[in-house]
Amino acid sequence: MRRWLLWFLIAPQTFLLTGLVRDLGVPLDATVLHCLFLAFFADRRALAGLLLGAALGRALVDEAGLCVHILVIGVPVAVLLPLRRWFFGQRWIWQATTAALIACIVPRLAGLCGRLFDQHSVSATFDGYVVVTSAVFLPPLLWCLRVVPPFAAFEEDEPA
Amino acid sequence: MLRQTRAAFPAGLYGMLLIAVFGLTLPALVLPVERVLVGTAALVPRFLGFWSGKPAAAAEPAVLDRLAALRADLDAAVRYHDVFGAESLMPAGWRPEVRVAVATGRRGGGGQPSVVQLDRTYAEVADCSEFVTKGNALLGFLMRPGIGLAADDEPDDFARVLLLNDRTAPRVAAAMTFPEGGTLRMIVGPAARVDAAALRAELWDDPYRASRLRADGDAVHTVKLPGVVGEPPGGLLIGRTRIWGYRAAEGKESLAIAVLVAPPIDPHALSHVVLWRTDANANAVDTAEHVVEHAATVWDLPGVRGRHLLACDAAVPDGAAVVQDGLFLGSARGLSYGLALVSSFPMSRQRWSLLLMPDEAGERPRELVGRVLEGREGFALIECEADRFVSRAAGMPNGYLFTGSNGAHCPAGLLLGRVTAVPGRTDRLEVSLPVHRGPRAAAVMMRPERRSGR
Repeated sequence: MRRWLLWFLIAPQTFLLTGLVRDLGVPLDATVLHCLFLAFFADRRALAGLLLGAALGRALVDEAGLCVHILVIGVPVAVLLPLRRWFFGQRWIWQATTAALIACIVPRLAGLCGRLFDQHSVSATFDGYVVVTSAVFLPPLLWCLRVVPPFAAFEEDEPA
Repeated sequence: MLRQTRAAFPAGLYGMLLIAVFGLTLPALVLPVERVLVGTAALVPRFLGFWSGKPAAAAEPAVLDRLAALRADLDAAVRYHDVFGAESLMPAGWRPEVRVAVATGRRGGGGQPSVVQLDRTYAEVADCSEFVTKGNALLGFLMRPGIGLAADDEPDDFARVLLLNDRTAPRVAAAMTFPEGGTLRMIVGPAARVDAAALRAELWDDPYRASRLRADGDAVHTVKLPGVVGEPPGGLLIGRTRIWGYRAAEGKESLAIAVLVAPPIDPHALSHVVLWRTDANANAVDTAEHVVEHAATVWDLPGVRGRHLLACDAAVPDGAAVVQDGLFLGSARGLSYGLALVSSFPMSRQRWSLLLMPDEAGERPRELVGRVLEGREGFALIECEADRFVSRAAGMPNGYLFTGSNGAHCPAGLLLGRVTAVPGRTDRLEVSLPVHRGPRAAAVMMRPERRSGR
C-alpha cells in the first residue's frame, strides 16, 4: 500500500521536475522515461496503476484529457512489452535506441489522438533535440531512479 | 508454466487502454473521475503554492479603463457591422437584435457545425422572426421549441439556430447574377458532410449554363418568391460559389460535377448573430443569467512555461475563461477541490474562435477561427481563417485580438493582445501578449447552469 501511495505522490511530479531540468537547458521528456520503465522494468501485474500515475503527471503539464495521456504512454508500452526478455538488464545501446524511438513516436501519437478526439496538445510538436537528449540521458537517469522509491518498489526481478 | 504465462499477460495494461478508449468515446462518464484524480495529483503543487508568496494585485485603474474602452469599441463595431446590409432588405418595422452565439453543435454540410446555441432562451426571443442574419448574409433559421429538431426543447431552454447547412434546414430559392449580364436561379440546400463547402446548389433554371460555370467566387443571393409565405427576404447573401469537378487537361474543357456554395463565415468563428424582432414596439426581455466572475489565484506550474494552476472559491467548469488584469489568460480545465489547470493562450493548441478589431476606424471586425502554431511567453503565431465579408485581397489588418465565442463559460470580447499581420500571408497573425510571473489574482468566468437544448 505504501509503495502505491509513494507512486501516486511522486510519479506525477516527475513531469514537473523534468520541466525544471528543461529550463536548465536539457530537454528531458518524462513521458519517455515512464514508457521505458513501464515497458522494460516494471512489475507487469502493476502496470495498470503505474500507467495511471504516469498519465496523471502528464495531465498536469499538457492540456489534453487523461484518457489521451493513458493512450500516449500506454500504447508504446503495450508494443514494447513483448520485447522485454531481449532488453532485460542494462543493455545501454538498446535502451538508448528505444528511448529515441519512443521520443519520436510520442509526439506523433499525441498528434494523432488530438486529431481523432479533438484534444490537441502542445506535446504533439516533434523536437529532434529531445530525441537526442532522451537517448543520451534517460537510460542512466532511469538506472539511478530504479534503485530509489517509488520506482524500486515496482521493479520486476526477472522477465517472464 | 500456465501460472507463468498468466503472470506474463498484462491484463491490467490492456484493460486500462480499453478504459481510455471508452472514456474518449463517452467522456461524460469518465470526466468526474478524471477531475478527482488529476485534482488530487495537483494538490502537491497547490501546497507548494502556499510558500510562493502573496498574489500580486490587479492592474492600475488607467490600464483597466483603457481595456474597457477597447472592449466598448469592439462591441460598438460588432453591433454596427453585423446589422449593416440587412436592414434595408428586411420588412419595414423589423428591429435588429445582436445576440451572442455561445456554442455550436451537430455536423452538417461540409463537415461544419449546423446548429448554433444562443445566450437567450426561446421565451426571450419568441417574438423574433425565424430569419437569422449577419451583415448582409442569411445564416439560418431560429428554431421554435417543440418543433422539428427542437421537439424536446422547452421555452426556458437556450434558443438554437438551425444553419442552412443542416440536413433538416429548409431549402432556399436563390440566384446568382453574372457581371456580363443575366441571372441563374437555383435552390440552395445543405451539402454532404464530405463536400468541400457547406451548401450545394441544385434544381437550376438553366442547367446547361450551370454546367458551363468555370470560375469560383460568384455571389449567391436569396430570391423573394412572390406569393410564397415564410420565404426569406430577397437579396440576402448566402455565400459564394465553389465549382467542384475535374480539372481540365491541356487543350480540353474542365468538367464541373457540382456547384457548391461556401457561406461567408465558418460556424466555428461565429461570435454574434442578428435576430429580427417583428414587433417594433416590443422590448427585449432580458432575463438570461450573465457570466459571473469568481475571484481566483493563479500560480505558474514549476517547470512548465505557460501552464498554470488555479484555485477558486467555486467548482470551475471545463472551458471557463480565466481573466487576469482584464486580459484573457486561457481557458481552464476544472478539477476537484476548487482547482483548475490553465494553459495560457500561446501554449494552447485548441481551436479558438477569435475577433480581430482593426486599428482603422470604421473597418469591419474580422471573425476568425484559428489555432496557435507556435507559442512562447508573450508571443503566439496563429494560423487562422477569417470570415469572407471582406475580400481576402484586402489582407489581414493590424489591430487588437479578442476572444470570440468559445463555449458557455468563455464569452466573446476578452482582450488577448496586439496583432500584427504577417506580410504576404492572409492566414497568419502574430500576437503579442503581456507576460506575468509569480502568483497573482485572477477571475474565472462562469455562466450559471441552465438546461440547454439537445
